[in-house]
Amino acid sequence: MKRDPVVIIVVALVVSAMLGFGVYKSRRSSGQTKNSEASMKGQLAPDFALQSLDGKTVRLSDFRGKAVLLNFWATWCQPCKIEMPWFADLQNRYASEGLQVVGIAMDDAGPDEIGKFAKDLGVNYVVLIGKEEVGDSYGGVPFLPTTFYIGRDGTVVDKVFGLKGRGEIESAIKKALSQGQAVQAQK
Amino acid sequence: MRLFEQHLNRAVTISTYPCHRAMRLSPKLAANLLPLPCWLVLTCLAVAQDIPGTRVPSVTMSPAPTITITRGKPGTVDLHFRIDGGFHINSNTPKSEFLIPTVLKLTAPTDIVVGKVIYPPGEDMSFPFAPTEKLSVYSGVFILGVVVRPLASVVPGKYAFHGQLKYQACDKAACYPPKQLPVDFQVKVAKGSSTHKKNPGQSPHVHR
Repeated sequence: MKRDPVVIIVVALVVSAMLGFGVYKSRRSSGQTKNSEASMKGQLAPDFALQSLDGKTVRLSDFRGKAVLLNFWATWCQPCKIEMPWFADLQNRYASEGLQVVGIAMDDAGPDEIGKFAKDLGVNYVVLIGKEEVGDSYGGVPFLPTTFYIGRDGTVVDKVFGLKGRGEIESAIKKALSQGQAVQAQK
Repeated sequence: MRLFEQHLNRAVTISTYPCHRAMRLSPKLAANLLPLPCWLVLTCLAVAQDIPGTRVPSVTMSPAPTITITRGKPGTVDLHFRIDGGFHINSNTPKSEFLIPTVLKLTAPTDIVVGKVIYPPGEDMSFPFAPTEKLSVYSGVFILGVVVRPLASVVPGKYAFHGQLKYQACDKAACYPPKQLPVDFQVKVAKGSSTHKKNPGQSPHVHR
């Protein structure tokens, strides 16, 4: 069958234009989020002081020298529920290598309710009661889950929106563990 | 001019041909290609919608037509809501105590009683983030019924109702903070037909 070159050219042009439009629209609608993502990577993760479920004040800087998986979640977030047992398992597996998972509950629920929810999911890591300003200091948390991977040197290695596969999470943890290893060795 | 018209009828000229040579597309071929851009636009938008967090979920309410209700009698106002494609919200009766139910809160004018809000049953759906778990959700269009009963003492006329629909939306990989949608509608209270009988026992004209 002989193909008309005009048809091929028209199709190619239209496909390119539409793909470009799709990418532009996607980027524009998530512009603020993407900008904040871009601006966070490689930067020092903002320190904060939040209350833990047992009322202690916990600072991010308390974990300096460790790789931190900082997970913003809420009890009303179903996708968050899927990740949390994975985080618990990964905390066990990589604790000896210097991983600390920290969950920040962006919730209106009280500490008891949050604690019960976390316990039911087998959470074995630090859970803190979130504040809006902490989310803002991280470029905003417009939806949950949002996870930051912070290297041993305190810099943001990665920022991930939404639920990801366990394999992706583990890869990001390994990346965070390797970030700033030289700094730790010097210490 | 006639020659030009003939030419136009016979062919569509494309000037962007790379060899800078005008190429002719038969009208039939051009007509076949016309739906292509629309299809591609829709495809690209669908792809963009699939990326979590690329859009903000939105629930909108269609303008509710003014319903006439006779005073002293109950009537139901149907409120139509639409959820953006790719998103869902919890039903009024989610399957977990931790999930935030969709709730309509209304304030009524004096002497008009807002009765029951009739919520549709949620659709039991599972999502990629929890394929084995069913959630009770609304998606697409859903209708809430509001039972309104003006007291018999209400002056006939139009009355405005205001309120808020509280909901919490998710897509297939992320959830968004709870939101409130303003809800407004009007009800026309009518006097009703005066066909009711007087109490026979009190009438001096009653003859048994």
